[in-house]
Amino acid sequence: MPISGVLLDVGINHYLVLSALLFTMGMIGVLMRKNVIVILMSIELMLNAVNLTFITFSTYNANLNGQIMVFFVMTIAAAEAGVGLALAVAIYKKFKEVNIRFFEQLRG
Amino acid sequence: MMSAIFFYILATLILVFAYKTITANNPIHCALYLAITMINLAFLFFGLNAPFIGGVQLVVYAGAVMVLFVMVLMLFDLKSEIRAFSRGLFSGLLKIASAGLIFGILSNAIFKTGDLLGLASGGPGMPDPAGTSRDLAIMLFTKYLFAFEALGLLLLLVAVGAVAVSRIKGGTHAN
Amino acid sequence: MGSDIFEVGVNFGKMVLIFVMMVQIVPLLVWVERRGSAFIQNRFGPNRVGPLGLTQLLADAVKFIFKEDFLPEKSHRLVFYAAPIMALIPAALAFAAIPLSMPIEITQFEMLGSIWGPYRFVFQGYEIGIGIVFVLGVSSLAAYSLLMAGWASSNKYSLYGALRASAQTISYELALGLSLVGILLLFNTFNFQEIIVLQDKALAFSFFGQEVSLGWLPNWGVFYQPLGAIIFFAAMFAECNRLPFDLPEAEAELVAGYHTEYGGLKMNMFYIGEYGHMLVASALMVTFYFGGYSLGPWLTEETVNGLSQWIVESISPTIVYLMDIPFPESFAAIFEASQNKVNILTAFVFHGVFLGKVLIFLWLFVHVRWTLPRFRYDQLMDLGWKTMLPWALANTILTAIVVLVMRMN
Repeated sequence: MPISGVLLDVGINHYLVLSALLFTMGMIGVLMRKNVIVILMSIELMLNAVNLTFITFSTYNANLNGQIMVFFVMTIAAAEAGVGLALAVAIYKKFKEVNIRFFEQLRG
Repeated sequence: MMSAIFFYILATLILVFAYKTITANNPIHCALYLAITMINLAFLFFGLNAPFIGGVQLVVYAGAVMVLFVMVLMLFDLKSEIRAFSRGLFSGLLKIASAGLIFGILSNAIFKTGDLLGLASGGPGMPDPAGTSRDLAIMLFTKYLFAFEALGLLLLLVAVGAVAVSRIKGGTHAN
Repeated sequence: MGSDIFEVGVNFGKMVLIFVMMVQIVPLLVWVERRGSAFIQNRFGPNRVGPLGLTQLLADAVKFIFKEDFLPEKSHRLVFYAAPIMALIPAALAFAAIPLSMPIEITQFEMLGSIWGPYRFVFQGYEIGIGIVFVLGVSSLAAYSLLMAGWASSNKYSLYGALRASAQTISYELALGLSLVGILLLFNTFNFQEIIVLQDKALAFSFFGQEVSLGWLPNWGVFYQPLGAIIFFAAMFAECNRLPFDLPEAEAELVAGYHTEYGGLKMNMFYIGEYGHMLVASALMVTFYFGGYSLGPWLTEETVNGLSQWIVESISPTIVYLMDIPFPESFAAIFEASQNKVNILTAFVFHGVFLGKVLIFLWLFVHVRWTLPRFRYDQLMDLGWKTMLPWALANTILTAIVVLVMRMN
């Protein structure tokens, strides 16, 4: 009795709506928050919502391409988080500031 | 019936913690709530017959990326923010309205095209969950080999870049 | 979860039992650790309370439970209370996914006036197709409990301990994952059950088209992957924060690291998490490299089956005879001999084998802790990144080449 596959007979629309809600929440986070790291986290939330959509379609269509795509999205998300955090740390070390508004003043 | 109950429990948890992520005042609480969201999503993937992706989600997102976020935030030692959200009533309303518009478009698209796919209620699903990781590997190393190698290169560049950025001294802002 | 109420009930009961087993092994391990350290250091250890000091644990438990439950000023209440609970979750989830013995086949039987269909119960919390990835993923969550505990305490030493701990956990996870790739290449599967079944025979492999077989050795992973086994075991020490790698709680430098501010039952939960992690580490080591619950050619399933058949057939009539008078007919049927009981007994014999192997590794954990001194932090990072990671990579590449050549014919 492997535990995978226990959620299949719910219907595809449920998953898609859940994913749309998650995406919207991530978008609100990106638009409304000030802290640059929280904005990065909201972007991760949006990427996760997209991953959920890919997995849903992949499962309901019995097509593995979606899972490969999720694999790539995860790798790119990890890379993006690494660079983003390194930049945030560099700026914080210099200016003690994480407000996204402050970043507009950086020149050069 | 059982699967509906499981799905609604997981979906409620995901939505509640995602909401907490974007509204919590303390950035560390945000990061921890986001980690819980991602763990729940991983279990949703297990239930969706994609166990390998679920495991990778646990290892990469919950185990590495979010730990990195939490560590960086702890190093910053930020206090709770008094104003976590950006200013401006009008622009705030505009932002929420645009997000609502996106959600409306998405859900409209979902419900309009659900019948077109012909699998709206309990589609065929994956034939063999145990075999999927093998098939996944075969696809990854044959059809998507170039993309895979490109990603490897990207990760190398990112590693070098992250080290370079975090060691920056001087520059135009040197004081 | 199951097709009818009996199967669902058994599966849920199994999960609870496995969690209780993980929690209850902790006092035993604490006793072994204290007596073992005393033995190694040539002193007595706890020997006043009860025979051999065994009830010392009970006294400790009472003390832990009745201590004052305090909260440091300026700590973050929610995170502070959540951290000890978070410490239990990864170990419990990982332990429940490891098979502790062979699956039990139950044929049809009659109970409470109805027929209950044939079942197949796995001897583990839940069977999961991609066991290795799942266990790696779940145990990578252990970093959160340390980080949460250290940060929420609002204490410099705690924060240092937490940062050290999480950096160490993340660094050693790489070597840990890479050392398992060799096992994946050899056995071609993610599933624990299949890995164990593949190891349950005499050592035999084909080498350039020639069949090599050593009948007196079992087909264990350690004979193919000695380097991988060593790297895995060392990385597991780091993951458990046990002594050569216990920088996070180095008491001479950091008071007690991330759990400085914890006391009473919350402290106890951190202990349970640590020992649970040790249990998971030993169980994984046994599963990957030492044949799991099987003993290869030394103790085959037929032997055990015959033995349990004999035991069930010779004991059951006695019990039925003894129980004759006071019990109703339906209850006496429980004690009659049947194939189901033979299967259950066989599974429990192999479970005993598994526990024996796990206990050997647990003793190794204790022995190493009281033998080796602690690393310096830079030595720790050097060992992780500059020694174990390259060796694990070399092991992976070498295994891949050898497997490719040997399967080419």
